[in-house]
Amino acid sequence: MSPISPTPPSASTLSPIAFPDVALPESTRRLRTEVRAFLDEERARGTVLGRPDSWLAGWDPGFSRRLAERGWVGMALPTEYGGAGRGFLERYVVIEELLAAGAPVSAHWVSDRQAGPSILQHGTEEQRRFFLPRIAAGRCFFSIGMSEKSSGSDLASVATRAERTADGWRLTGTKMWTGGAHCNDYAIVLARTDETEDKHAGLSQFIVDLRAPGVRVEPIRLMSGEHRFNALHLEGVDVPDGMLLGQQGDGWKQVTGELAFERSGPERYLSTFPLLVSLLRELGQHPTTAGQLTRIGILAARLYSIRRLSLGVAAALDAGASPDTQAALVKDLGTRLEGTLIDTVRSVLPTPADPHATPGSHPELLAFALLHSPGYTLRGGTNEILRGIITRGLEQHR
Amino acid sequence: MNTHTIDTSAPVISADHYDTTAFYTDPDAIATVANTTAPDAVALPSPDASTAEILAAAQEAGRRAVPAPFAETALVARPLLRRVGLPVPDGPLSYAIAPDLTVRYAHPATSSVGSAGCSGDDDTLLVTGTLRRVPWARAATAVIVLATAPSGPVLFTVTPGQATLTPGGNLAEEPRDDLHLAALEIPATQVRRIAPELLDEARLRAALARSALIAGAAERCVDLTVAHTTARTQFGRPLSHFQAVKQEEARLIEEAALVRTAVQAAAAPLDTDGPAAHVAVAAAKTQASASAAEIARIAHQLHGAIGITRLNPLHLATTRLWSWRDEDGDETYWALRLAQPLTATTLWPVLTSTP
Repeated sequence: MSPISPTPPSASTLSPIAFPDVALPESTRRLRTEVRAFLDEERARGTVLGRPDSWLAGWDPGFSRRLAERGWVGMALPTEYGGAGRGFLERYVVIEELLAAGAPVSAHWVSDRQAGPSILQHGTEEQRRFFLPRIAAGRCFFSIGMSEKSSGSDLASVATRAERTADGWRLTGTKMWTGGAHCNDYAIVLARTDETEDKHAGLSQFIVDLRAPGVRVEPIRLMSGEHRFNALHLEGVDVPDGMLLGQQGDGWKQVTGELAFERSGPERYLSTFPLLVSLLRELGQHPTTAGQLTRIGILAARLYSIRRLSLGVAAALDAGASPDTQAALVKDLGTRLEGTLIDTVRSVLPTPADPHATPGSHPELLAFALLHSPGYTLRGGTNEILRGIITRGLEQHR
Repeated sequence: MNTHTIDTSAPVISADHYDTTAFYTDPDAIATVANTTAPDAVALPSPDASTAEILAAAQEAGRRAVPAPFAETALVARPLLRRVGLPVPDGPLSYAIAPDLTVRYAHPATSSVGSAGCSGDDDTLLVTGTLRRVPWARAATAVIVLATAPSGPVLFTVTPGQATLTPGGNLAEEPRDDLHLAALEIPATQVRRIAPELLDEARLRAALARSALIAGAAERCVDLTVAHTTARTQFGRPLSHFQAVKQEEARLIEEAALVRTAVQAAAAPLDTDGPAAHVAVAAAKTQASASAAEIARIAHQLHGAIGITRLNPLHLATTRLWSWRDEDGDETYWALRLAQPLTATTLWPVLTSTP
């Protein structure tokens, strides 16, 4: 845990609109400078290109490994498992610097954000000793296998089955939207281990080797034509006992316990930030009118304010609370901002989006951000569902 | 009055309890409110309270629509007086930032010319002009004026009795009075020459005070709306059970949270001055003013017809939001100032400049 001032209240006393204000620990000041220097080096190397949505689309295992050498992958994992033993807020600073720069972080993204913390919390000692050092070295990449064709927002309705075998489990079913399954090493798969009345019970998580027999990865092309996601067909995949993650039947609890981490981070408001940087670069070559400045200022104020909210959730998480309502709130605000940013950029400097323009040019970045934009408010829980969580959270608080 | 559930932590001192129009014209009542120390009323924080504590109290004053210049006194007038070493009068205070006021030295005959320009044998001033829309002027013990003398920026105080007052009001009928000063002599003992930076600080303090009030009024909109949508039943179920209502209500809650957080984040930077204070306050007032429209719109929409009447307290919050967003610099004013120094390379460092 890192020092935070003032002490954030516990989840039970935290009103959904009363976020703790956060002073980042002094240690983050130097860390931020170090990350910026590292990014300058990588820019010179030609790996950091300032592209939008780099946590989804910027796949560069070499970059991930160099980042890991600095101790910035799995950095909140304990040192005994190869992590850097840094606080959650320090990790936050590294992540936000990487995303603002549009650095290619997608290879290790899920390992760093979900798989590492999840294995640390729920895994066996053997699993920790095997996976965590590899994750922190940037040499073990994970996918998530949660959603299915008929199981999007309604995650508890998953139909993938895990049947008992002599020495483990046999998994059968198809996961959808499994990002990076065609290049990653493992997937954490949510499957039904018991048929019960309560559909939240009877689910378990498994660590599945993506190269195991019976695993078939079928591309699902995005509307831009990119191949990021897959259908992950599990056609009788044998998973040994040792790869059950956490307790049998606790899958739902384990999955929902991670949602606040997944929903409130800087990736929920910075996905299109590099496009705003690109706009300012363009405007640097033209005189800027008061009207243009005003629109940029209104956007910047909103970005600034959402970042403060997101930091408030990070501090609460660091203190061990589970601020699910607040995380949902940050995600709705932040991901809507990611779309608004594109609108503002277009209105400040009207530019036809052009996917065939020079890579990295303003029209090309605009096209890229735009083609990804419908996903911002869908991934990680659709915003309509999140708003229900927010309203319920406030009513229960009263 | 109305049959709707309203905030049960009912404020002892708030605009709810008064026929507002009559109340605002009674300076004694306003002074009582401003000086009250009743435990469950909003009391002026002690002089050594932190900026964060004063901001929280100002926000509470905004939430309760306190009919007194609470934030003006605690966040603007008192700190500025202390900063320049002038005595802090008791009672409600207000302020006017008036660079266009005509300010002369009263005794130019014996003037000597120093490096700072023309100045009199002492700093006694003769002031002529109008201080426009001064918050709560009719009820203030003193008004802090920041103006420009021949030697540069000055700060002095006037008492409303020294001026001719034209009453005015904002959308919430809070007093916004014009004070006409006709060759008013301000004794040198009440005048301080100030650095130009203090003028900037005054603008920041005023904007942040107003933002804190907006955050409070926004929170009131949330309180009242959630209470209404859970209590009010139509088609056999509470309004809050309708998906369409949930969607709007969540956005209201989000905007209020956004404003509140932006205001809180400005407390520490304000104490340190410098560019971080400018960024934090400009962002807070831009966000507070920009969010006011959506907050008021959703709160009214979800209240239905009762919300547009004086049978329900919602108007106390929404009329203030519509006025306060314009006062002390609207979102256009502050957004422009926030954006001016931004370039492709400074944008991210500026956004992360506050700790």
